[in-house]
Amino acid sequence: MLNSLVAGLTSGGVYALLGLCVVLTYRLVAVVNFAMAGVGTMGAFIMVSLMDLGLPWPIALVIGVVAGSLLSALIGSGLVRWFGEHDERTKAAVTVALFVAIGAIGLRLFGSTSTGARRFPTVFDSPAFTLGDVVVPQSVLVSLAFAALITFGVGLMLARTSVGLRLQALSERPSTAQVVGIPAPRLAIAVWAAIGGVSTLVILLVAPRLGGDFSTLSGLVTTALAVAMVGSFRSLPLTLLGGVLMGLLEGFAASLDEIQKYRGVVPFLVILVLLWWRSRNEVWDTAHSR
Amino acid sequence: MSGEVLSLKDVSINRGDTPIVHDVSLTVAPGTVTVVLGANGAGKTTLMDGIAGLAPVTSGTIQLDGAPIEKFPVYKRSQAGLGYVEQARTVFRTLTVEQNLLVSRSGKGDAEKVYELFPELKKRRSLQAGHLSGGEQQMLVLGRALISDPKIILIDEMSLGLAPVVVRRLMHAVKDLVGLGIAVLLIEQFANLALEIGANAYVLRKGRVVFDGPCDEIRGDSERLHEFYFGAMPTDAVVEAGGENQ
Repeated sequence: MLNSLVAGLTSGGVYALLGLCVVLTYRLVAVVNFAMAGVGTMGAFIMVSLMDLGLPWPIALVIGVVAGSLLSALIGSGLVRWFGEHDERTKAAVTVALFVAIGAIGLRLFGSTSTGARRFPTVFDSPAFTLGDVVVPQSVLVSLAFAALITFGVGLMLARTSVGLRLQALSERPSTAQVVGIPAPRLAIAVWAAIGGVSTLVILLVAPRLGGDFSTLSGLVTTALAVAMVGSFRSLPLTLLGGVLMGLLEGFAASLDEIQKYRGVVPFLVILVLLWWRSRNEVWDTAHSR
Repeated sequence: MSGEVLSLKDVSINRGDTPIVHDVSLTVAPGTVTVVLGANGAGKTTLMDGIAGLAPVTSGTIQLDGAPIEKFPVYKRSQAGLGYVEQARTVFRTLTVEQNLLVSRSGKGDAEKVYELFPELKKRRSLQAGHLSGGEQQMLVLGRALISDPKIILIDEMSLGLAPVVVRRLMHAVKDLVGLGIAVLLIEQFANLALEIGANAYVLRKGRVVFDGPCDEIRGDSERLHEFYFGAMPTDAVVEAGGENQ
């Protein structure tokens, strides 16, 4: 059981990071981004393909992260240019379509679940310390530290820097932000690029553990959305906590033989429970209860 | 080019796909208040949104200090010197007063100048803008426009939902802005109050200019204003068309 929980904790840090990417995209550019994990997976696969061609991993890593950033920035600029005046649901629908498109392109380029699994570098698999008789790998610490850094670093950046304040203004009142001279399109695309780069790194962290095929990795968006829901698409610390809890929950499910094979449904169950819990006091004719 | 800071020539503006403003031409001189009046639905806010870049200009030209800006995105118009005080007190509620000013600062914009104009804001500089009173929020929005170092400020219905004493205080502040050499294009529901501080006025009806002249010509003339707002007045109906009837 402890082994499974430690394994869950490794995933938890990664899930928190994915959830944080979803929350930040929503808070800063008002888009529920279904394509995020697909973009990160594309960047990660570009990196691993370059490594397969003989490129040293640091160079391949830089190219993969830049590719993820550029793809994300491209999606962001398309949304800003053509869907800037549309509502959140339309923008979310566009990212769903892009998620499907990226998935199809990824399968075509990199193969399916059975044929396309790649060997991702396992940089952080060495043991960090032992807990009882369970070895805790470095990846647990790295993913949790990365998640904590993003949570508190972004929080500080938003509150203390000029760019952060402008991003807050942009997220609160996009058109007024432009009225006061904030270059909203440029800032929004920069946010998309940053999210694409971080997503690539996160996918690279989790890929060695999850088998390394395109559809499994890009499908992590479901978990990311469940984690973001724990934080109500708003709170970074709650999202961090949600990610860790989600990992532990999956680890717990994996430790029980009876339910082990169903652990993939955990994110859906979390989404369902949160939807039910948060809508229990809603009145049928409120604007958003359709 | 004369001494106009803002000049519109035959400007038409849509709201969505619907044409709202038709072939409007107007000019605003530096250091003056130009008033735009009209009934509800006449196209005043759409005109302001079009000048600021929030609504699409379908034809005509807009010049700011002699340079065309109608193709500029919203933020570039602001950076070019166009301040806009939108309707409904659009403060950034989660930011403090000071942060609201900071994100808008540009060029020679100085927070102290804003605090001189509105000492109330200085006392509350660390308070989140969402916790300010309605009048203070409106002062902050005006201050935010001032700190962007504008050549002209467009002000849309700043008195909406505010007590008359606060409205007078704000009108006084508008006069102070003009004293700094800034031009003001003002939409105001209290027509006579606006005409008191304005030099020139334009009246819109159904998106077209139906009056263009000095404020003196229509100040206090309710019948004439009513006629401009709604068309010819029935002979048997004497209606007071003061500012509150817009």
